[in-house]
Amino acid sequence: MNPVNRMGRWGCVSTFLRTFLIQGSWNRRTMLGAGFGFSILPTLRQVYREDPGGFKEAVGRHSEHFNAHPYLANLALGAVCRMEKDGKDSEEIRRFKLAVRGPLGSLGDSLVWAGWRPAVVLAALGLALMGASPGLTVLFFLSVYNLGHLLLRIGGFAVGLERGSQVGDTLRKLALPLQADRLAGMGVFFLGGVLGLVIGRGWAFGVHVLPWAALVASGLILGSRLGQGSWRWILWSVSGLCGAIFLFGWLG
Amino acid sequence: MGDPIFLIGLGGILALDGTSVGQFMISRPLVAGTLTGWALGDPYLGLLIGGLIELYFIPVFPVGGADFPEGGPPTLVAVAAAFGVPGAGGIALGVTLGLLWCRLAALSNRLLRKVNGTLVPDPSRAPVTSRRIVGAHLACMAMDFCRGGILTALGLVAARWAAGSLPDIWPLTPSWTLGLLILGASLPAGAFVRSLGGWRKRGVLFAAGAGGFLIGSILL
Repeated sequence: MNPVNRMGRWGCVSTFLRTFLIQGSWNRRTMLGAGFGFSILPTLRQVYREDPGGFKEAVGRHSEHFNAHPYLANLALGAVCRMEKDGKDSEEIRRFKLAVRGPLGSLGDSLVWAGWRPAVVLAALGLALMGASPGLTVLFFLSVYNLGHLLLRIGGFAVGLERGSQVGDTLRKLALPLQADRLAGMGVFFLGGVLGLVIGRGWAFGVHVLPWAALVASGLILGSRLGQGSWRWILWSVSGLCGAIFLFGWLG
Repeated sequence: MGDPIFLIGLGGILALDGTSVGQFMISRPLVAGTLTGWALGDPYLGLLIGGLIELYFIPVFPVGGADFPEGGPPTLVAVAAAFGVPGAGGIALGVTLGLLWCRLAALSNRLLRKVNGTLVPDPSRAPVTSRRIVGAHLACMAMDFCRGGILTALGLVAARWAAGSLPDIWPLTPSWTLGLLILGASLPAGAFVRSLGGWRKRGVLFAAGAGGFLIGSILL
């Protein structure tokens, strides 16, 4: 029988909808744990309909420490729903959650945060620089980004429900690290495109772009030397420099 | 500066989208800036400020629960500040205040997460009930909404004060101002390339994008 039918359509839909709130109580102690417990409640109510003690024990078990990328957490959630419905041993479910949390976290981070999101946002910025209206720019970004976002959430939950503890095989077939690498390349391509468009627009407006282009190239090299963790320093420096220029203007 | 109650509500929603609810990315500076611009009557200025702040956010990934700057409410504050001062000074003031508020938002987020940790039940200490889980989870989200609203309200006060205190003292022209801010954004852009493999691995793609779009923009 179809796992959705066996679990009850409403329980399944309700669990899926709750995954949009999975990070609602993110904290350093249990991370996504309470969100996982919150999301899986409708399924647990179906599974332990006639076993209040089992329900209580399962709620506690699923509120323990868990972490994953918020979109790919659906894969684990779907699989755990299936395992609960299939009556798998609680220790087996705990081991499964322990095993998938690391890979789902790092895979989601590289696929979405470092790949898909920058690529789409930079493409949208490029579109704006080519003269698209603010409405079109925002519509493009939100629709394209959320197409991938919802595909991951819905697809992940469906695959988890279908495959249960065997989701690893499906993940391997999808070769997501390779897709993440391609998306990262796309992001860098669009970053170059955005800077190229900025220089081109400056040229069109009669700005002497060559000295600026040389400075931006130096900034790129310096930024790559400083590395990803330098964002705090960069934010302070730029706001401090602007503040100093304001002070200079105020003084004279 | 628009209806403050509406803006504070929008700030709360943007804060929720950042982590707690959905993550549909309406909290990205590009979107938050344009939405605020619409609300205040000039979406183009909103897009400009949002786009500039977005460039500073490119290398920031919330990996493994790391500390990260928040984009939504700070961009709202940035756009509101830019509306208060005409010309290039408004752009500079908006981005400056926006970047400062990003840091403040990151601190408030860290604090919220600590409070969340005290609210959510600990299964290792006492049995967890479904009511307790739901209550704690919803309370955490409500606090996040309030955090975004308070952050926005404080930002609007700061923006109003700055707009009143700093009119017409920005000495740079619009092209120098934008050049300076884009120069600043080149640092995080370089950090982004490094985090994705560095110039040796990605340099050709970057050059292809830059060259292709530059030639295209000049020819067209």
